[in-house]
Amino acid sequence: MGLYLLQQIVNSLIYGSVIGFLAIGYTMIYGILGLINFAHGEIFMIGAFTCYILVTFYQFPFFTGVIGAVLASVVTGLLLYYLVYRPCIKNKAPIVAVFIASFGASLGLRYLFMMIFGDQGRAFPAPDYLRGMHMVGQIVFSKRDLVMFVVTIVVMLIITYLIKYTKVGMAMRAVSYNIKIAEVMGVNTNRIIVTTFIIGSALAGISAIQYGLNFGIVQPSMGFTPGLEGFIGAVIGGIGNVPGAMIGGFIVGIGEILFVAFLPSHLSALRPIFVWGLLFLILFLKPTGLFRPNVKYEGTWGE
Amino acid sequence: MNSTKLSVSIIIIAMIGVLLYLSETFLGGFNLQLVRLLGINSIIAIGVNITNGYTNIFSLGFGGIMLVAAYTSIMFTMPISYKEAALHLPMWLEQAQLPFLPAMLIGAVLGVITSVVLVLPAFRLRGHYFILASIGINLVIANLAENMHDYTQGSHGLRNVPAYTDSWWIYGILLLTVIFVWRLMHSKYGRALISISKDQRLAAVMGVDIVRYKIYSFIIGSFIVAVGGVLWVHLIQCINPQAFNLMFVFELIAMLAIGGIGTISGAILGATIVTVFTQAAAPIQEGFILFGLNIPPMYGLVNLLMAIIIIVIMIYRPDGIMKGKEFNFESIFRRFRHSPEIAEK
Repeated sequence: MGLYLLQQIVNSLIYGSVIGFLAIGYTMIYGILGLINFAHGEIFMIGAFTCYILVTFYQFPFFTGVIGAVLASVVTGLLLYYLVYRPCIKNKAPIVAVFIASFGASLGLRYLFMMIFGDQGRAFPAPDYLRGMHMVGQIVFSKRDLVMFVVTIVVMLIITYLIKYTKVGMAMRAVSYNIKIAEVMGVNTNRIIVTTFIIGSALAGISAIQYGLNFGIVQPSMGFTPGLEGFIGAVIGGIGNVPGAMIGGFIVGIGEILFVAFLPSHLSALRPIFVWGLLFLILFLKPTGLFRPNVKYEGTWGE
Repeated sequence: MNSTKLSVSIIIIAMIGVLLYLSETFLGGFNLQLVRLLGINSIIAIGVNITNGYTNIFSLGFGGIMLVAAYTSIMFTMPISYKEAALHLPMWLEQAQLPFLPAMLIGAVLGVITSVVLVLPAFRLRGHYFILASIGINLVIANLAENMHDYTQGSHGLRNVPAYTDSWWIYGILLLTVIFVWRLMHSKYGRALISISKDQRLAAVMGVDIVRYKIYSFIIGSFIVAVGGVLWVHLIQCINPQAFNLMFVFELIAMLAIGGIGTISGAILGATIVTVFTQAAAPIQEGFILFGLNIPPMYGLVNLLMAIIIIVIMIYRPDGIMKGKEFNFESIFRRFRHSPEIAEK
């Protein structure tokens, strides 16, 4: 039993990191602008699709596909900011209106891709050098998972360094604490918001590659479930708290896989109920999430 | 209500009745369906408006409530032979047969119970957390419906629902709903709800029991929405767990956003625009030939267009067309009354 548990945890680590990266994106944007970027799942989907198109249609090497995916995610995130969120904030739209707009952006992007590609799943290209297994004791590690896990740890270290020890990171924390005072203190808030969108979207692109390699499939509606689970991870970790979001994402991702692994198979379709049940449980026991939230936001623009 | 207003209202209602009679006799197929869907969507939009508009608690959990109401009501109206063949129900439920109205009421009451039981704990949350929890209610109920094979046949859905709904049912209920909501919003309860929407803390200081009134608002709103769901399933005659998915909820929100949140006329106007647009634009995505150009089928085009329209409206006119003001006869009367006087001068 212990062996089975260990093996399942190893298998679920990558899904945990997919959710964790999405959660970081949500938590950073929520921390700074106070809005749920509901279209984050679609940024993720566009990243995966770009890699699929570049590698399968144009025969680029896989690494180019990865870079293309991250770039496409960043471009989508910036477009969303400049076309949807920035005009809303400029017009001092109520927070519900911004939410409806982001809901609309999410559905619009999803249906745009459905219109072009259809909603059937397509095979995600995996390069040959990522195939293969390693045995450590009796536990199987696939080469793909090892590489991705190393990537996850490196990216996490970079993000932590960026937020804790650089000037940009300090400005980001200042803006998320109080945007008005940060501006008075000489922080270029617009540049910080753009930087946040770039980092969040780039992480969504990386997590899209991980998702594609792990599940081997891309389709226009793929962003929906991981997107919502990413937000749940962000809430569980305490919204605005970046390391907390990563841990929350791991809790959701690993918990979900273990839930499926340890319950009888006819209950495995109840997977969403587990995730939402976990969310409700956390929100009732500790509405601010497991870790200290990093937001001083009361929910209105400008004031 | 003075006598002129009353008589004008009666004349307008009578005219709508005549139009309905004509549409029932002469229209058929697609157009008749459109007229009926229009009424149902208006009912649902008014119901959603009570919580999301008047009380200003933004909930997206209505898909789940409609699903519960629709499935419950068809348990009592589907033919016994079909239930025996397709489902594994307890004996009493399998043999149960009720007329339309009791089945509708049972469905609506169960929808209200679901709504209150699920939403009550979520009241501890604020802002975006509450919206998230309400999306969760939708997904969880759809997921349960997919997995309770004995009752719902899973994602295959159920067919053979009798076509009880006709225009008279729909528009009769719509009329009752409009009168009820109008009276409600001009009573003590309605004013308390509106005061919650403006400023919760101020309302609490003025002696409004916020939690109790929020629950009232959810009970009333969910009841109307649930009745809409029951009417819908007896019109379309089949249902599956994805019938009221997030896209459907988005259309509801779009109706309110376009028409203007917080008014009856805005809800009806928005429901009309969205319904006509989605139904009329649906044939475009099948593909057609325009001036020799062969336009290929593009499934999802309508949803895409709607999303773009909503974003533009949210940016430039977040209050919607009615801008929070009710359509009233007074201003129109005044225009008619004044025009001869101006002519005399």
